[in-house]
Amino acid sequence: MQRIFQIDGEETECWLGHDGSRFVLNTPNGTVACQLDPTGLPGGYTLRAKGVVRELRLAVGPEATFVHMNGRTYEVGRADPAERLAGSDGGTGDDRLVAPMPGVVVSAAVKPGDTVKEGQPLLVIESMKLETTLTAPRDGVVAEMPFAEGDSFGLKDILAQLAPEEE
Amino acid sequence: MTISKLLVANRGEIAARVLRTAKARGLATAVLRHVAEQEGPAHLIADEIVMIDGPTPVAAYLDIPQIVDAAKKIGADAVHPGYGFLSENAAFVAALEEAGVTFVGPTSETIDLMGDKIRARAFVEERGFPVAPSAIEDDDPATFVERARAVGYPLLIKPSAGGGGKGMRVVREDSTLETEIETARREGQRYFGDGRLFVECYIERPRHIEVQVMGDGQGNVVHFWERECSIQRRFQKIIEETPSPALTPEQRDEICETAAGIARAVKYRGAGTVEFIYAQDGAFYFLEMNTRLQVEHPVTELVTGFDLVAEQLRIAAGEGLSATQANIPQTGHSIELRVCAEDATADFRPSIGDLLLLDEPSGPGVRVDSGILDGGKVTTDFDPMLSKLIVHGRDRVEAIARARQAVQNYVVLGVTTNTGYLDAILAHPDFASGDVSTGFLAEQSETLTAPGEDISDLLMAAAALSDERLVSDVMQIPEMHRKMGGWRN
Repeated sequence: MQRIFQIDGEETECWLGHDGSRFVLNTPNGTVACQLDPTGLPGGYTLRAKGVVRELRLAVGPEATFVHMNGRTYEVGRADPAERLAGSDGGTGDDRLVAPMPGVVVSAAVKPGDTVKEGQPLLVIESMKLETTLTAPRDGVVAEMPFAEGDSFGLKDILAQLAPEEE
Repeated sequence: MTISKLLVANRGEIAARVLRTAKARGLATAVLRHVAEQEGPAHLIADEIVMIDGPTPVAAYLDIPQIVDAAKKIGADAVHPGYGFLSENAAFVAALEEAGVTFVGPTSETIDLMGDKIRARAFVEERGFPVAPSAIEDDDPATFVERARAVGYPLLIKPSAGGGGKGMRVVREDSTLETEIETARREGQRYFGDGRLFVECYIERPRHIEVQVMGDGQGNVVHFWERECSIQRRFQKIIEETPSPALTPEQRDEICETAAGIARAVKYRGAGTVEFIYAQDGAFYFLEMNTRLQVEHPVTELVTGFDLVAEQLRIAAGEGLSATQANIPQTGHSIELRVCAEDATADFRPSIGDLLLLDEPSGPGVRVDSGILDGGKVTTDFDPMLSKLIVHGRDRVEAIARARQAVQNYVVLGVTTNTGYLDAILAHPDFASGDVSTGFLAEQSETLTAPGEDISDLLMAAAALSDERLVSDVMQIPEMHRKMGGWRN
C-alpha cells in the first residue's frame, strides 16, 4: 500500500508491506523494517527502525502526522496517491485561489454564479495584520466561495473556485 | 477603596495569570469571552464569564462601552486590563472612572503622556534623564543642518510623520549629510505627504534593556531590576531574561535608578516598564515607557520572588507598595520563551489548526503560563502566542540548560510552533556568551533555521505505522502477497 509523505516540502513515495512477522517500509533510499508500540502516555509510542529505538509522541491530523521526537517536533504530510489521482479532475491550479497564508476574509466582492474578468477583485483577506486583495486568475464564472466575511481560513485552503473552462 | 470583585478585560494566558492571583487574594473574579472564542484556561478559573460580541473578536475586546457596561452589570468594582487591547487606552480609564470602577493601572494623564512618544521624550529630557541625541527640524528649520551635524555620526534621518522604516537613512560621513537630508525629505514627501525631518544618533548593534518599576501614585517608586529583551523577530520579543548579561553591577544600578527616577517624576501608579536602547559602549537612552504589565513580567517574578499582579492589586486598592527597595532581591537567573504558533522557516508565518496533543513541561524551576487547552483550536483571530515557558536557575548557565530541556519536552502537536527555533537560539554560541543585539535573529537566520540531522526515514516509518487505514489495508492483503513486501507491479 502506498503513501506519499511530505517532510520540509520534499515529497517521498513509500510502500508499506508486512512480511508475516513485521512491517517493512520501502523508501527510495531502501527498505526499513519497523515496529511501533504504544507506551501508555497520550500519543506515546516506541519506534524501532533502522536499528534504533526512539520514544516519541505522535498525533494524526487529517492531512499530516505530527511527531515529537529527539526534543523536536516534525510535521509529516500524508497523501494517498490513488486519491490524489482521483481528485485531480476537480479543476486545474488556474481555476482556484489558494490561500497563501492563514487569515480572515475581510470582504467578498463576488458570489457564486457571477461572471468575472481576469484581474477583477474577488475578495479581500487579512493575514498577519496586512490586507491583501485577491483577484481573478482568468475570465470565468465563480463556482464556489467557501468562506464568508469574517471566516478564518488556513494555509492552502481554497478561497475561490472558478467553473472549469469549456473547451 | 477596597476591591471585592475583579473583571479581567483580557483573554489568553494573561487573563488566566491575573485571575489566579486575584482568586488567591480572595477576590470574586470574572473574565470576558467573545461569542466565537475557543474555551481557554481563563474560563476554567474565573467565577464568572461575561460574553462579549463585535464584528471581529479583537474589536469586541476593544469596545470600551461594552466592557464598561459588562463591569457595571456584574458589579465588578475593579478592572484589570492585562496587556495589549485597552491596557494603555486613556479613554478606557476615563470611562471606568466615570462609572465608578477602579482601573488597575496608572492614571489616564500618565497614559496620555507616555503614549505620545514626542511628549514623553521631551518630558524625560527636561528632567535630565538620558535620551538619544537628536535634532528636530520643526524646532528651528533654519538651523536644522547645523544641529543635525552636532548630533555626530553615524546618525539616522527619519521623516517626522514616518513609521515602518520608510524614508529612514543612515549617514556616516559629514560629506553626504546634506544630500541625504534632501533625499529623505523627498521620500517623506512621497510616502507621508510630509517632508519634515528629524535626526537622531544611530546606535550600532543596540540592545533592548528595560526596567520594571512600581509606584504608589504618591511619588514612592521602587524598581524590580532589569530585563534583557534583545532577542526579537519582526520587532517583537521572543526571549527575555534577567539579569541582563551585558550589565556590570554599577551599570545595573544606574539604569534601574534612572528608570525609577523617571517613574517618580510622573508620580507613577501601578506597574510600568521603562525601556532603554543600550549601546555596545555602555551608554543607554530612554526609548519609551509602557504603562502596563508586560508579557515578560514573569522573569522578574522568578528572580525577585514578588507576585507583580498582587502588587498591582494592592496599589489599586490603596494599600500601597509592599516592598521597599532594599528588600527586592535579584536571585539567580530567569529566562522566558514565547511559544508561538508560527513557522520560523517561512518568515514566521502564523499557523492554525486543531491542538491534537498538548503536554506542557514541568519540573524544578519551570513555569508555564499557558493560554491554550488540549483539544482546542488555534485560529487567526488573535496573536499567535500560545504560552510562555519561564525557567529559573541558580545562574545563567543553569537557566539556559533548564530552558533547553523544558522546551525540548514541550509537546504541542497539531499546529506548527517555534519550539525548535527557540531551542536553536538557546543553543547558539553567541546567545550563550550573551553577545547579542536586536539584530541577532535576522543576522543569524540561516544558522537558526538550518535543518537538523536527516531522520526522514524514522519519521515516515512513524507516520506509516500510525496511519490506521494504511495498516489495515496492508493487513488485509493475502499472506502470500504480503510476503512480497516491496514488490510493485
